[in-house]
Amino acid sequence: METEYDQVLHSVAQVKIADQTGVNQDEDGVKVSCFTEVLDDVTLHFQIIRLAKQIYVWIGYNSAKFGNLYAAASTRPSNTVSVATVLGGTSDNTGSGIAHRLVMKTGLNIIMACNIPKNNPLLEAKAEKMLMRKLIDLGYTMPTPLRAT
Amino acid sequence: ALQLLLVGVKEAEDRERLSGGRSWQRLRMESLDANFPVRHRKVSLETKGNKTEIVICSYEDHILVIATQIGAMGTILHARKEEGMSVEPTFSVSVIFGKRDEPMMIATARRLIDHISSYVPSKTLVLSLGLKDHSSETLKEIVAAVIENRLW
Repeated sequence: METEYDQVLHSVAQVKIADQTGVNQDEDGVKVSCFTEVLDDVTLHFQIIRLAKQIYVWIGYNSAKFGNLYAAASTRPSNTVSVATVLGGTSDNTGSGIAHRLVMKTGLNIIMACNIPKNNPLLEAKAEKMLMRKLIDLGYTMPTPLRAT
Repeated sequence: ALQLLLVGVKEAEDRERLSGGRSWQRLRMESLDANFPVRHRKVSLETKGNKTEIVICSYEDHILVIATQIGAMGTILHARKEEGMSVEPTFSVSVIFGKRDEPMMIATARRLIDHISSYVPSKTLVLSLGLKDHSSETLKEIVAAVIENRLW
């Protein structure tokens, strides 16, 4: 019997990335997108800053605190994804999973700050899904993402 | 919905102290979405033929400054004011990601945290410098642009 968590994970895995006609690489400078989503009694804030070769993302849980900072990218030659914790999060690495899966799905080079509290996998999964959807809508994803596990 | 307001284009100024009478100009844009808890500002400037994009974001407990010429965040530094009893403030500045052999970048972070902490002493600075040119003239321009467009 599927728990709600499984259902959300399942639908995250099904978020398909359609073939994007190549993102316009002649950047109009840096682009900042901000949006907020309210879930039950939780407010999630998202900030996406698109640089030419990298994307910075911030996820705020109910507040404007910065949280832990992670860097994630695909590593050659085997196309696996590496995540490094840049700030904070020694025993609490909430958010590193999101960074990891974002790179896997989108092929982007990501720096992510996230202050979602630990032990909340459902919330992480929902935040990840919203973020993924937005990245696709904004057209930031690469046309050939890495294979998901 | 996000409203972008063009807050004026600065006129090009002559800087005699810099070689060749080079002039620079800046373009500043600010997000006026009043409901979003994080304010940000973007500044674009040209130094030594390189276009530098700067983004300044103000979080509850941090200030994030991204200055990029290469389209990526580059080296990331962390700087904060130390709690202390002495009259002179002390600061902890370190590179947390990237190049660790550029003392000018540490000096830049130090200069900025000094400024930030005189206004909001509890905030920590996360500074990202993705630059082609690490000369002190460029870094000074970047510091000047950040301070002029600060969110603290």
